[in-house]
Amino acid sequence: MSAAATETTAGSSPAGTSAAARTARRYGSFALRRTGQALVVIALAYVLVFLVLAAIPGDPISAQLDNPQNGYSEEEKAQIRAFHGLDRPVLVQLLVSLGNALRGELGTSMSTSQPVAAMIGEAIPSTLALAVTALALAILLAAVLGLLSRLLPEGPLNSLVRSLPAAFLSTPNFLIGLVLIQVLAVNLGLFSLVEPESARSTLVAALTLAIPVSAQIAQVFITALDESSGQDYAEVALSRGLPPVQVVLRHLLRPSLLPTVTVVGLVLGEVLGGSLITETIFGRAGVGTVVQKAVSSQDVPVLLAAVVLSATVFVMVNLVIDLLYPLLDPRLRVGKESR
Amino acid sequence: MTPRPDAQAAVGPASTAAPSRRRLLQGISAGALGLAALPLAGCALDGARADGGPASPEDDLELSFLISNLDGGWVPSQSAISSYEANVWQQLTDKLVHTDAEGTVSPWIATHWEQNEDATEYVLHLRGGVTFSDGTPLDAAAVLANLEAWAVGRPEEGLARVGLFPGGTYEGAEALDPLTVRVTFTAPTLSFLPTLGYHGCQLMAPSSLALSLEEQADLAHQIGSGPFVLESWEPRQRVRLVRREDYDWAPEVLGATGPARLSAITFTVLPDDTLRASAARAGQTDLAYNVNPQVLDSFTEAGFTIEVPRYLGFVHGYSLRTQVAPFDDVRVRQAVTRGIDRAEILRTVFTDAWEPATSWLQAGVPETTDLTELFAYDPELATQLLDEAGWTERTAEGFRAKDGVELGFTIYPTPYLTGSVPEAELISQHLGRLGIRVRTQKLDIPTYTERVTNDPTQGVQEVTRSFVDVGTVAGVITDEGEDWFQTGSSDAELVRLRDEVAGAASREERAGVVEELSRHVLEQAYFIPLEQNVQRIYVQSPQLSGITFNAVAIPSYHAATKEEA
Repeated sequence: MSAAATETTAGSSPAGTSAAARTARRYGSFALRRTGQALVVIALAYVLVFLVLAAIPGDPISAQLDNPQNGYSEEEKAQIRAFHGLDRPVLVQLLVSLGNALRGELGTSMSTSQPVAAMIGEAIPSTLALAVTALALAILLAAVLGLLSRLLPEGPLNSLVRSLPAAFLSTPNFLIGLVLIQVLAVNLGLFSLVEPESARSTLVAALTLAIPVSAQIAQVFITALDESSGQDYAEVALSRGLPPVQVVLRHLLRPSLLPTVTVVGLVLGEVLGGSLITETIFGRAGVGTVVQKAVSSQDVPVLLAAVVLSATVFVMVNLVIDLLYPLLDPRLRVGKESR
Repeated sequence: MTPRPDAQAAVGPASTAAPSRRRLLQGISAGALGLAALPLAGCALDGARADGGPASPEDDLELSFLISNLDGGWVPSQSAISSYEANVWQQLTDKLVHTDAEGTVSPWIATHWEQNEDATEYVLHLRGGVTFSDGTPLDAAAVLANLEAWAVGRPEEGLARVGLFPGGTYEGAEALDPLTVRVTFTAPTLSFLPTLGYHGCQLMAPSSLALSLEEQADLAHQIGSGPFVLESWEPRQRVRLVRREDYDWAPEVLGATGPARLSAITFTVLPDDTLRASAARAGQTDLAYNVNPQVLDSFTEAGFTIEVPRYLGFVHGYSLRTQVAPFDDVRVRQAVTRGIDRAEILRTVFTDAWEPATSWLQAGVPETTDLTELFAYDPELATQLLDEAGWTERTAEGFRAKDGVELGFTIYPTPYLTGSVPEAELISQHLGRLGIRVRTQKLDIPTYTERVTNDPTQGVQEVTRSFVDVGTVAGVITDEGEDWFQTGSSDAELVRLRDEVAGAASREERAGVVEELSRHVLEQAYFIPLEQNVQRIYVQSPQLSGITFNAVAIPSYHAATKEEA
């Protein structure tokens, strides 16, 4: 650090290259540190989930073997348990599982014997389609609400717009889904419940998910817009006679984006979590459904893979958000602080 | 990802696109291709059938079936007896015999059979010309491979045998000629023939049986000889079957020959039961599976057909473990069974389609006799029994107690049955009026198995169990079996009746013993019957007809047809 600081003060005229190199180096170590942390987080999550599941009684294979209806002999049960490695001590099972995971082998589902990688891989496109559409809709909705809150003259309509996020937020996701299904699919026949992956069904499912998510974004966006409109530069802009639309778009929007982007990153967890419920309601075979089934049947290999996947997604999203900050706010650019 | 090398081999004759294209885009294009090609394939085959074909199935009669889940996977030894996957397996596969809802066994792939006098040896004669959908013959060799899988399995490779198949007495089987199989048992095994019609005993191609556990998990690898073949599937989401055009070996007793009338069946998963009901009401599906019993009346009024097929087996009820207090006292057990108002359960939890239990065995079991008087609702008798048993103190909350111990127990409603939770809550009220505290707690399936089924200190076991042959009862009542009542061998009467049921060489002789046994079980209140068990509920569009159900209440759509709306 001290070396870097010396360099900064020394090289002020040919600043371009050395500053860029320094920034890149700093950035490299930052990225490495972040990746290292992420790997530790993922590994810890893996071990923790494994141990918790080991502590809870029951698993799908034992559930079938111990079902008295099947009348299996102790010897048959022991053979089948041994085939699945369930006869080994928990710690050995954990090490074997961890070793396999490091080699990229996620094993097979204890419920269906299907390869876990394929189960999750096949579910991803459905979840991705839902999550991306939902996030896009949520951002759109939040943007519209935010801009309206500034552009509409004060009055009942403006108050209505400002109260919508709270209303959205306090309506449960499943209720929105059930109402939309009842009205759009059952009463109006606009989409078919039998084709849950169709474009129309996906759009309605995404809307279900987008409504509560948009509320969180909109709340932050509206507050940020209000705050920046109280700043001197905004008042100066207005006093210069600029039309409100221009003031909002040119002067208020950019400073308001920083907290908004932060919250978009945060609600991504909400989107993925909410997709679990939404997928179940709409009968979509996405990752959320896979996880939900795996939880209820205590399907350990599937749950572990899902944990690794979601931990990876979260870490990556946070990384992307961190990388976006400097672009939105020059004050946050790496290396700037020493000038 | 594992490679799926022989995906092509799994495709039936009418199908053109490779199945198991599970990635989204490929799935869509395969589906589109399949759809586009279907009418063409249908036309071609129709032309071929025009001269002398036995039936003229419609070309575009598709059945849409909404199901609550298809999570059990496609390893037959794991999911053939599942209440969900069995709906699919039944259309893809055949069985050696057909066992109907009254327990009558009739020919299917086995056209006739002989058995020796002491029921230890059976000779099955197979129908000629039957093939699996990959073209390989369903002959004696194939039947031997299936018998081996049902009776023994390959547990060292994780492949279990079929639970209900009488593997315990199975000695072996041999092919006498390409269409004749002799099966031998070490002891009388009357259950063998009816069990061949049980959903676990579905005939698979030997090539499918030889696959590893992981390979068997891919439905595209499962080759059957049934009236429908797989066109495509997406795990936990959808299975699409198409008619097999050269199918011509349906069970005669069902009255339809030749290929199926329906051209295709699509099973789609929609987990929420109110939405399955809504989709049926909106005409978006022909069939909705397992909707809430309480909404059924509105469907009947709207002209829908409600099928609540009853399987052969035990009625829905509770078996009591007599080593666990308070069930160690016969008077408490009798008070419990006398304290339940079954008529109110039928009225409030279910609909008219449900019927009261008349014994601990379903009314469809040929050996069942009406023993209602042994457990009928009688709160006064129940009160008297509890007083006699010494439960005369009262706790602060008004429950009975003896020596400071409160009279009560916990019911864990079975996760396998729609309606088990409200039913348990109602029973809790009934018994609460007598001063018995009944707690109810809902558990998921793995926890249920661990905490209730495998825990010998849990007094109440909820029973929802099918069987195809009444001989099964011998295997549950004493410690030479599941020991449902925890009596071990201490109840000499139970032991004697068990031996007589198990050792019977004729069904007539056995029927008398079964009645005696049922009487004993109900008098001792080892088993609390509730109502005739309905585990499957089908809401069918008024346009559908020709659907039949077998001994375990699984539908066949071979003869089903659909009027154009």
